[in-house]
Amino acid sequence: MASISRFFKDARNIQILWLGTFLAYGIFELQWAANLDYYSFVFSGALATQAFFIHQKSLPLHSLKSALITSLGLCLLLKVNHPAWGLLAGSIAIGSKFVLRFQGKHIFNPANFGIVALVLLTNQAWISPGQWGNEVVTFFLIASCGMLITLKVGRWDAGLSFVAVLFACELGRTVLYQGWPMDHLLHTFSSGTLVLFAFFMITDPMTSPNARKARVIWGASLAIASFAPSAYLQLYTAPVWALFGWCLITPLFDKLFVQPKFQWI
Amino acid sequence: MKTKFFFSLFFLAIAVNASSFCGFFVAKAGAKLYNKSSQVILVRDGEQTVVTMSNDFQGDVRDFAMVVPVPVVLKEQDIRVVEPGIFKRLDDHTAPRLAEYYDENPCMPVVAAEYLLNKEVMQRAVPMSVMEDAAVDLGVTIEAQYQIGEYDILILSAKESSGLKTWLNKNNYSIPAQAEEVLDPYIKNDLKFFVVKVNLEEQKNSGFEELRPIQIRYNSSKFMLPIRLGMANAKEMQDLTVYAFTKTGRVECTNYRTVKMPTDREVAEFVEPNFSKFYVDVFNKQYNYQQKRGVFLEYAWDLSASQPVKCDPCPTPPLAMMDLSQTGVDWLQGQNGWGGYSGNLFITRLHVRYDRANFPQDLRFQVTPNREKFQCRYVIRHPATGDFSCEAGEEYLEKVVDRRKKELEEVAILANWDISAYGNYVKPYEKQLKLHNASSETEKNEVLPILPALPPGPPAMLNYVFLLFGLVCLSGISFLLSDFGKAQLRKS
Repeated sequence: MASISRFFKDARNIQILWLGTFLAYGIFELQWAANLDYYSFVFSGALATQAFFIHQKSLPLHSLKSALITSLGLCLLLKVNHPAWGLLAGSIAIGSKFVLRFQGKHIFNPANFGIVALVLLTNQAWISPGQWGNEVVTFFLIASCGMLITLKVGRWDAGLSFVAVLFACELGRTVLYQGWPMDHLLHTFSSGTLVLFAFFMITDPMTSPNARKARVIWGASLAIASFAPSAYLQLYTAPVWALFGWCLITPLFDKLFVQPKFQWI
Repeated sequence: MKTKFFFSLFFLAIAVNASSFCGFFVAKAGAKLYNKSSQVILVRDGEQTVVTMSNDFQGDVRDFAMVVPVPVVLKEQDIRVVEPGIFKRLDDHTAPRLAEYYDENPCMPVVAAEYLLNKEVMQRAVPMSVMEDAAVDLGVTIEAQYQIGEYDILILSAKESSGLKTWLNKNNYSIPAQAEEVLDPYIKNDLKFFVVKVNLEEQKNSGFEELRPIQIRYNSSKFMLPIRLGMANAKEMQDLTVYAFTKTGRVECTNYRTVKMPTDREVAEFVEPNFSKFYVDVFNKQYNYQQKRGVFLEYAWDLSASQPVKCDPCPTPPLAMMDLSQTGVDWLQGQNGWGGYSGNLFITRLHVRYDRANFPQDLRFQVTPNREKFQCRYVIRHPATGDFSCEAGEEYLEKVVDRRKKELEEVAILANWDISAYGNYVKPYEKQLKLHNASSETEKNEVLPILPALPPGPPAMLNYVFLLFGLVCLSGISFLLSDFGKAQLRKS
């Protein structure tokens, strides 16, 4: 029993387990089995880069877990033309964590950085917002698991304020102003990609602001920054791009709302 | 192995009826509405979209009318009619296909291979009808008015839905009840309404019996198909086939899941004469399995000039420059007189079955750099005939029996067909095998113990075992890296 409670003490263990479950769901239910070679490239790239920096900076071994989470995030969100791009995605993502730092924190969410870098630089990668389908079961499963993990690290507020504000914006525009029926709106919010993004990526304790008040404002503004391009420019992967920009202003929030930095253990 | 191909080009039986994808066909009082299936060609290059709508209206052309929401007021040069044959050309080229192979008799010399091409001929009819008028009081503005080919075209903008509805009704457009709820959202979304009717005189002069497809071109960040307006009622399903052309790669749906159809499966020989029905059943099964919400990928191919293989195997000659210019692809450079071209091109064929209950939003698309080829292909293998009395014959018969059992299972798995009626599919080969065994036993007078043969093909279970192994390893690593695990290690 003691070992189980120990296992759950580190939120990263649960995160790895749940993200792994989603990947398994994708592989067996959503026909992703053909991408297994890509996944192995992502894991190799990320873990090798992390191992390199562990050696260089004499970091604790348990930081490999973060690399696992980043790899899983990349596997779940990023699609590429050739599996070998996975190697680059994994290494860039983890590399950004050690190279792009400000005041002792890495600036970008590593998986987010990997995705943005690959999509922008290679022209061989893309995000498939529709890949999860809109099954309600998926929605609840991902949402609840996301909640569980973020509650453990106390960053649920950023995810929740993001979803709440985005919902309010969409409700206002599509239902109240344009007059679409409610199921039009619910369809948007039953997207697995959106929920996965909200509860796994933006709640990353290392790249969201340290203070709660700051996180709520940060999440809310991120929602507006995601809403506008998707509503007016038909950029349906907007949250990923918005987060990339918003990571840059996290240090500003940390300066305005002073709070100690998050520690995994 | 010598092979011989046979292609049975499938086209959806339901596609023979009249259609409208994003518009609705409207009849003047009493006329029958057809609204079951349709085809559309999308060409996307940056912000520019070219949409070609098939016109399968069947009935009196005077009864035809179509309303399509468009993002901008179209100019006259942005609208044209194209040859009706283009849809059939694309359909023939990209449709789910059946390939046929003939085994060689291991006990007999090789017979010359033969290449056979067979196409089912598809009949697609066409037509339309019309109206007139303008009522500024209703808040409806006629932005433009053109006569193109056999069509009279109006482009309307409206201030509010009730005015537009009244105007349409006044001009004899009856709007499906389910479509009314989206008029307001479309107006608020700043969409214009592209309204089409047939100019009877021009139609007579054109010499075309059927109505030709209409093609529109516009610049907008919106890359979507407004299917909501064509939804006549909550339960009525409509099938839509989209042929999409881009420079970079596949087109996929961003707000519904794009799913690949099952492909490269070996199916029983009796599927051949009923391939159309078989594929409809396969599609039905997939459609239900995806909870009626999938967008299905049926074909994806890199048609760039640099690609030596434009299709493999090719059910029709590759698409040539003249076909592509009909679709609205305008970035290719024609080369030599053989229909060749230079430039990049990728085709995607998607099949959607939508209804009001399961498709609350219009279809939104994105262009991806994904250049992976895909074709929806089923395979039939005909066993060899003749005498199998040689040694290799036994091995061959065993293979055929196993294969035919699997083929039967596939038919049941893919299309839900009842295979109990096809008991005779395997039996004759089992019988031959028995006879062969009996004769070889008497010859050898001894039976060697044989290891049980493994089923052919990679066992699917193995993948699961690997994954489970992977997950266990991952948990193991996480455990070892945790403080508790380390403490345990130190202790030991």
